[in-house]
Amino acid sequence: MDFIDQILSLFSDFSNPKKRVFVGYLGLSVLIALVWSMVVHRTSLRAALGRIFDRKVFFSGSSFTDYKIFFINRVLMGFISPILLTQVAIATAVYMALVRSDLTLWGAYEEAPRALVVGLFSVAMFVSDDLTKYLMHRWMHRWPALWSIHKVHHSAETLTPITVYRVHPLEGVLYATRSAVAQGPVIAIFYYFFGQSVDLYTIVGVNILIFAFHVTGSNLRHSHIDIRYPRWMEHILISPAQHQLHHSIAEEHYDKNYGAALAVWDWLFGSLHVSEGQHDMAFGLDPCEESSATDLKTLYFAPIWEWRAQALGFARSVKARMSRASGKQSDSGWQEKAKRVE
Amino acid sequence: MRRALTLGTTILAAGLLTSVASADTYGPFPITEKSYSGDKTNSVSYTGQVARSVLLDSLKSLAGQANGGGNAAELKATMMKYYAGSDEDLPIVSHKSKDGFPIKQTTLHEISKGKNVSGKTYKGLVPGWPGNMTGGEVMEHLIHHASMSDGGFDAANGYDYGQLIQKFGLGAMAFNQAVDNYLDEKLGADNKPNNKPYSDGAAYTGKEHSWDEAFGYFGAPAHALNLEAKQAYNISKKKDLAAGDANGDGVIDLKTEMTFGGAYYAADADKSGTDYLPTITSAFIEGRKVISSADGAALTDAQRAQLVAYAETIETEWMKVLAEATFKYAGSVYADIEKIRADKNNVDPDLYRAYGKHWGELKGFAMAMQTGKDNIGGTAVRLNRLIGFSPVTLDESVVTGIDADGNFVRDAKMSWNAYQLNMLKVQDLMIKEFGVEARKNDATENLAELIKTLDTDSGGAETD
Repeated sequence: MDFIDQILSLFSDFSNPKKRVFVGYLGLSVLIALVWSMVVHRTSLRAALGRIFDRKVFFSGSSFTDYKIFFINRVLMGFISPILLTQVAIATAVYMALVRSDLTLWGAYEEAPRALVVGLFSVAMFVSDDLTKYLMHRWMHRWPALWSIHKVHHSAETLTPITVYRVHPLEGVLYATRSAVAQGPVIAIFYYFFGQSVDLYTIVGVNILIFAFHVTGSNLRHSHIDIRYPRWMEHILISPAQHQLHHSIAEEHYDKNYGAALAVWDWLFGSLHVSEGQHDMAFGLDPCEESSATDLKTLYFAPIWEWRAQALGFARSVKARMSRASGKQSDSGWQEKAKRVE
Repeated sequence: MRRALTLGTTILAAGLLTSVASADTYGPFPITEKSYSGDKTNSVSYTGQVARSVLLDSLKSLAGQANGGGNAAELKATMMKYYAGSDEDLPIVSHKSKDGFPIKQTTLHEISKGKNVSGKTYKGLVPGWPGNMTGGEVMEHLIHHASMSDGGFDAANGYDYGQLIQKFGLGAMAFNQAVDNYLDEKLGADNKPNNKPYSDGAAYTGKEHSWDEAFGYFGAPAHALNLEAKQAYNISKKKDLAAGDANGDGVIDLKTEMTFGGAYYAADADKSGTDYLPTITSAFIEGRKVISSADGAALTDAQRAQLVAYAETIETEWMKVLAEATFKYAGSVYADIEKIRADKNNVDPDLYRAYGKHWGELKGFAMAMQTGKDNIGGTAVRLNRLIGFSPVTLDESVVTGIDADGNFVRDAKMSWNAYQLNMLKVQDLMIKEFGVEARKNDATENLAELIKTLDTDSGGAETD
């Protein structure tokens, strides 16, 4: 019985409305994709269904690798779950720092209208979460050590909703920690000012804004259904097509559209790229990245070897600099001596 | 051959077990005093300290008998007998037998004669209490007001006198006497030396009895090391006869089997995972072994150095116990204010009474912390300022001092909100200065609870 429970627990995300792959969100995504295909591309229902459930996508080697990684990581991540503890520790530390500060505003706004407090808190949590996702994602692409592990996600050559789980386990840890670091201080600050009236507006237990993100097709970001938003709207919200562009193999699309739900961060920090209406975009990595769409050994272990190479390279450059610097010193010492002899 | 081996092993094991069992209890220890000619075989004696603990606890019980002024004079006279001593044999008010928990003694003289609290109360200034009084004067001031209160409670000023007397006394009498007297100057080479009897004709040496007296003030049952924290705690609550009745005679002997004062609060903290009670008790037992091993000779410098090290452990850990209790009751007061603020114009009298009780415990322990050997300086100032002279009362006023007649003056206001924040700061201070670990009633638990309730997992590990 325990064994069956454990097997079932591997699939628990599909029944958890806090997760993107919750069956309800997946169903809605199919519906949105159908409407998009039939209304915008004027295809028949049969053709639309055929396009959405494309065997070449869902049964590709890359997608099968996604499925395998899903299971492997579920088992591995079972051992890494002290994230809630981290969040409590961070929130308490920030809260006590505020309590100790000279700021005399502890519970100062406790009498504020509850609707306002809950509304503000729901927005603050969403925004802080989304901003830190943007930043983390940006660093994942820009810092070589982080890119080594994030490459695993970008090695996917076909995109399905399960691709969201195609990550190196270390990236999973980093993302979960980010969540604690982002939300802990927000909770602490609100609790400091508003006390016990802090709460979230939720639907099925999920922050209403995150719920909105999911019911409007968050799963289609990792799909071949290139839903676009009007140009102005793609400056505010990331459309599925914009995220697909982020996965594009084309060089002009590199390092664009890091955003999760909001596009404003990309707009603000110069990494925005609106969608172009390109069909059948090629996804994946340049061969020079020496990754693989399907080989699990490469996907799990290559980042470690890359880190080793990066560390050795760094050590060599430090050594070279030090020897150059000491060379200069001895030069000047020699000149001193020469002067004295004169 | 095999049988002989088995027998030998059994005897050896039994011998080991016996020696472990005796090593685990505070006493009996042999008589080493050479001048003793009586028939006693155990040199351990701390009944005077047990009697004083009983007097202190009885004062708390007596405060509860005040009926709003009607019996003030009579009650004050009675309380003063328990405080300052009496030739009469006083009944034990605090530790009475109950169904399933019989107690051997019913009067003070069955424990020890001629004992009082007043003679052993802190003689230094108590800055945490209004009126620039010494420890003894504070006690008498509290007794005076307790006798006029309503069941020990003074609603106008928010004082629970019984709690204040008892908790302050745990410091001003027990902690102070133990760490600032018996474990301090009495460890000196020439003070109560080990090669002389404590007093003429005594069955114990100067050092043996000094050490025993300190242990007596701590209040642990002699067999504390054989008990779980919960058992030691429940003895005091009269809930666990089997745990307390070490000699199996069916009754609790207050002299050796009860958990008093400091030991009780050590056990209370230990229920949350700390080990104050075993650490302190072990230090006492190990120290006593060092003294016994001298066999009535003067202690060497090395032996005294060992004792000083044990005494330091005892003092540090005991201080932490007081800090844990201060932390705990700051948390209780915090939680009470949270409830009071929910409907502050219509405060439930029972809630206000509980708030006063918790504040009395908090204040008592906070003042107790300032009666040790070491001056805690700036920490004491912060603690006294955060807690103030009184809790915030129903009209949001606080006590600011006393008038010429010793009556409390409340001429300042403080909001519930500000005072609640102070409680949080008291807890923070206890963590920072004393490293408290049990942290009962941690006020930041509310935040942790909120985070658990919010369950803000937003797919944190999902990667785009």
